[in-house]
Amino acid sequence: MAKHLLAFPDLCTGCNRCAYVCSAVKEGLFLPTRARLHVQNFPLHGYSVPCICFQCPKPECLEVCPEKAIYKNEAETVMVDQEKCNGCGECVSACPYGMIEVGPDNLAYKCDYCGGQPACVEECSPGAIVFVEPDQEQKKIKALQMKHRSTSGNPDEKRLERAEVFLKEARPARAASA
Amino acid sequence: MNLYAGQVLRVDLSKGEIAKEPLREEWLKDYWGCWGLAVQYFHELVPPTTDPFSPANALVIMTGPLAGTLAPTSSRFCLVSKSAHTGTIFESNMGGAFGPELKFAGYDGIIITGRADSLVYLRIKDGEVGLEDASAMKGQGIFKTETLLKASLSPEAKVLAIGPAGENLITFACVGSEAYRQMGRGGAGALFGGKNLKGIVCRGTGGVRVAEMEAFRQKVAHWTQTSLLTEDNLWAKSDGTPILVDVTNEMGLHPTRNFSLGVNEDHAALGPEAVGRAKLADRACASCPLGCGKFTHINGAEVEGPEYETLCLTGSNCQMNDLEQVIRFNRLCDDLGLDTISTGNIVALAMDLTESGRHDFSLRFGRPEDYLAVVTEIATLSTARGRDLALGAGRLAEKYQAQDLSTEIKGSEFPAYDPRGDYGMGLAYATSERGACHLRAFTIFAPDHFNIEALAQDVVNGQNLNAIKWSMCFCDFWGTVNTEIMADLLTAGLGRPVTAEELIRAGERIWNLTRLYNLKAGFTAADDRLPRKIMEQKLGNGPNEGRVFRKEDFERMLQLYYQLRGWNAEGVPTKEKLAELGLQPL
Repeated sequence: MAKHLLAFPDLCTGCNRCAYVCSAVKEGLFLPTRARLHVQNFPLHGYSVPCICFQCPKPECLEVCPEKAIYKNEAETVMVDQEKCNGCGECVSACPYGMIEVGPDNLAYKCDYCGGQPACVEECSPGAIVFVEPDQEQKKIKALQMKHRSTSGNPDEKRLERAEVFLKEARPARAASA
Repeated sequence: MNLYAGQVLRVDLSKGEIAKEPLREEWLKDYWGCWGLAVQYFHELVPPTTDPFSPANALVIMTGPLAGTLAPTSSRFCLVSKSAHTGTIFESNMGGAFGPELKFAGYDGIIITGRADSLVYLRIKDGEVGLEDASAMKGQGIFKTETLLKASLSPEAKVLAIGPAGENLITFACVGSEAYRQMGRGGAGALFGGKNLKGIVCRGTGGVRVAEMEAFRQKVAHWTQTSLLTEDNLWAKSDGTPILVDVTNEMGLHPTRNFSLGVNEDHAALGPEAVGRAKLADRACASCPLGCGKFTHINGAEVEGPEYETLCLTGSNCQMNDLEQVIRFNRLCDDLGLDTISTGNIVALAMDLTESGRHDFSLRFGRPEDYLAVVTEIATLSTARGRDLALGAGRLAEKYQAQDLSTEIKGSEFPAYDPRGDYGMGLAYATSERGACHLRAFTIFAPDHFNIEALAQDVVNGQNLNAIKWSMCFCDFWGTVNTEIMADLLTAGLGRPVTAEELIRAGERIWNLTRLYNLKAGFTAADDRLPRKIMEQKLGNGPNEGRVFRKEDFERMLQLYYQLRGWNAEGVPTKEKLAELGLQPL
């Protein structure tokens, strides 16, 4: 069974170290807006939601890619072959979670688990992101998180929309007056 | 450029003009960033006798070189200006996430001068910067203002905002950000209000570069594991600042009932266990693995906090041994934009005036009703009582001849450590450049609370270290960080050697520069004083029952401090000391 990234919003403190280190590894500088994962912060409600790529069993991004540039490797990680990518952005529109984007170099980029040792997990002090072979309980948590899908908007908007669903569940009274 | 963005924004609110200026790189080796660099910019720009509310006063907002990197606790940034509350130069710093965002937008800092004709906000979206009409936000609290400003730019934008307290020029009004973080002390909020600046919203999608990313990450990992996440600092992760409620009560220097007692018998109601039971989540500033923020909820009242200062000064000091009430008071202060340290002192003073029969403010220790109402009254100046309390402890005490009851130095109300239980804190409060402050030197963990010689040296060392620490800027709660660690991270970040020695020398330089500024503003050794209460009234209970900090002892300690600093008996840096630091004499 392959290892997967799992996010636990209730544990996330909003420190953003995951996004800082991801961009450091992937872009060579600290540039969190181009990290391969993002944290939606709701400071007024004391809540944050880490948004991660679910490495979907049946990825929409893989299915819509006209160049067949998206594939799954042996570890079940969904990868972009940037040699084949033409920057069309179909994957970006198709992803229900806002977790694949096209960069300034006109190439799609997404989380690739850093080849098996995700840097974000090492930085996460509260343990809100883990990299494990999911047990039954964890598979259920992940499935529930994947149920919330955004059908429109740019990646920022999709992530925000989904994060607000988690916020509402975690902070019912306050979220109503947000 | 490595670490630095290399650019600052210059905003002239009178002319409505914004310019982008290269960072003064020639100042970096002596002043580094954040506090030090902001003081250098400020003193070049604003004559020391300037009226704080005049358009000629400047607000210098500055990040540190490590902001926006993985260096842990590096997201703090500061504002330097001349305070309307104290008349001194002051620095006020803040965590949250605004600092890195400003860096990512491409700016190390923002320098604001002038005054706008009508209420405006500053909007920064990477290279696009402009002043916008803020009339729709007039009178709004900080929470609502932040929501509106984020909606106008981006949900991921970061905001600095003032509430009605700042708009109404309450001199101890704060600036808020990320809801529950503040530039708390010195009245940054009033200075924003005086310039008709409702807030700043910033979205930055750029990055911060380091010389060698691999080396930098290794250094960060090494110091995070071996220094930050060690027993000395992990209290911040497990309990947060509420742990100090227990610590200071045990030491007998926990301000209670308007600084008349040193122990609050009911402190368990406000301590770490009580906060722990009310806690929903741990919260962190950007870049911080500790996550000292405790988001609490009781009966529909919630806040990130309360922090120790608030628990003590709006709790024990007002004998309000009710965590729910303190949470509500805290939330009101955070939203309306009032510093909880100042407000807690002032309300307790008003309670003391009422109960001693000297002036009836209808405020009594431990009574909940007017306790919350008065916060709104102060922020909105809606009642005679509110307008009186809005004067601050210094002017309030003067108005009602209550200087024997008040606890302030240079107008700045006392933080939550009684100097009668630790002489080092007395000296620290008296010699802080911004009036009574616990973030310049912090001596309560010294082995002997009353050893004048040792504590005077501790205060000098603490002030110098904190001056360079807040220039990086690192958080207070990385208690074990030192100049060796700072030099190591800067070396990897900049790609050139930086030494611990030059950093501590910079700390001393920054401290002396603020001293010179205050001297030129008219402050003298006579202003480095203790309040009468501390020198004359015996502490009422606990391990330090009966103690005072006698004037003769304080004067002896102050003279020793001046000598250790290379200042003369009037507290003026000598020519030799200034030459050593590369500073111009008075």
